[in-house]
Amino acid sequence: MGLEILIAAVKALTVILMVLSLAGVLGWVERKGSALIQDRIGANRASIFGFAGAGLVNTMMADPLKFLTKEDVIPTGVDKLLHTLAPCVNLFPVIVAFAAVPFGDTVEIAGRTIQLQAVQLNVGVLFVLAMASLGVYGVVLGGWASNNRFSLLGGIRGSAQMISYELGMGLSVVVVVMTFGTLDLQEIVRAQGHMIGGILPGWGVFYQPVAFVLFFIAGIAETKRVPFDLPEGESELVSGYFTEYSGIKYLMFFMTDFAEIAVISALVSTFFFGGWQVPFLGDDGFHFGSTSMALPKLIVVLLQLASFMVKVLFFCWFQIMVRWTMPRLRYDQLMRFGWKGMLPVSLLNLVVTAVVIVAFQEWRV
Amino acid sequence: MATQTVAVRRPLAMRAGFIRSAFAILKGLWITNRHFWRNLWGFIIRKPTVFTVQFPEERLVQPNAFRGMPVLVQMDNGKERCVACGLCEWACPTDCITIYPAETADEIERYPRVFDIDMSRCMFCGLCEEACPEEAIVMSQNVEICAYSRRGTLWHKDDLLVPVDKLLDTRLFHVRRGYDR
Repeated sequence: MGLEILIAAVKALTVILMVLSLAGVLGWVERKGSALIQDRIGANRASIFGFAGAGLVNTMMADPLKFLTKEDVIPTGVDKLLHTLAPCVNLFPVIVAFAAVPFGDTVEIAGRTIQLQAVQLNVGVLFVLAMASLGVYGVVLGGWASNNRFSLLGGIRGSAQMISYELGMGLSVVVVVMTFGTLDLQEIVRAQGHMIGGILPGWGVFYQPVAFVLFFIAGIAETKRVPFDLPEGESELVSGYFTEYSGIKYLMFFMTDFAEIAVISALVSTFFFGGWQVPFLGDDGFHFGSTSMALPKLIVVLLQLASFMVKVLFFCWFQIMVRWTMPRLRYDQLMRFGWKGMLPVSLLNLVVTAVVIVAFQEWRV
Repeated sequence: MATQTVAVRRPLAMRAGFIRSAFAILKGLWITNRHFWRNLWGFIIRKPTVFTVQFPEERLVQPNAFRGMPVLVQMDNGKERCVACGLCEWACPTDCITIYPAETADEIERYPRVFDIDMSRCMFCGLCEEACPEEAIVMSQNVEICAYSRRGTLWHKDDLLVPVDKLLDTRLFHVRRGYDR
């Protein structure tokens, strides 16, 4: 029993560290990547004993240290409890959502089968969606508790945006669930292990390309980043719902931003890009049609972990590219796109998928 | 008066269709990606494609016509070339030059006992250089005149002296070419 708890704790710790370090690295990728896009050099001043690591030290160590040592200003007239609670409520669901995401197949250590997934949930999809929606409470609380008009406007915009885009997101996930016939994220990944016609990996994106596009757009809206960054909207709302935050609380909002990118990337790769699946890689090695190459189990597991990380990092990078490419949508454009664009398309996608699944039972994955 | 509604017929290019917007997004991504990968490759092969100059560590070499702060030309014997005629003092629009002349027994009998330039007032116009009949005061490349106090922006004769061989190829060359023309 003690061992079970230890294994669970180690897995939970791994996931938390993965999310938080990914968030830190993404802060660096964002700054340096934006610099590369805009023909600049980017953060490169802070260093430890002369080692700057192209600015990595700056964002990984110097930034958090700076935030930790800054004064935590609580403005007069704010609801102190809610003001303190908001960043926690914002950060918590994002990290927890990662718990249900499988980052590898099962491994057997000393006769024990360990799922490479923090929590085995047979309703993982529902859990992840629920946690993704909970994040908006932090935004609304932060906006409400700050006693500031800009914050309040940001919070209102955040809630309106979440409601509009949650629908498209949920419906596009429903399509994936219908395709693979399970709510368990690990099972969804397992179902994507086969090859279509022996050449194309059986990833969700090849079954549901429309759902992928919809989910990705809704995901970017969930992270409240640039094409959809109305809750922050620094040119209109100072900095939106976290205008009145400073010090470590601001850092928590900041971390949430990047952790959300990581979570959305993990979900995109789980639902649509086969999670930890490597094309042509089975349990015991590569299989190209009739020829095959045997590999030890450990190598296979490591390859799967690497595959998951590569996919997650790719989508993180892609979201950052999108952020530095797009201008911000106007509020009415945002609403129109959500309700008149995303929702009908995802509903249509749902109906078509349902019809196809019922009409051609044997096509089911 | 009732308001009138005028329906403006926009040209096709201004109507955002779905396909058009999708293409616009892809085009934007193409541009940002092109910059990203080109600059990243430039950093990897250590030939940066960005033109940022990391100022305190890297400096640009300015052309000879560049006017920085004025300096005094120091001859090979260590003395200044200036004869304290006061023409630069007279020409200076901001009155930032202060000269106290004095006499010596040298071949050049006059010299400035005090030659101060108040860099907080100097505007790098170069009129002192044009006024000088002796090629004794010339503009340099230096623009870093910051100081921690007002007194620090007052540059004295010893601070302003620059050996002539340092200036021959650069500013003096430029000045003489100007005279020839």
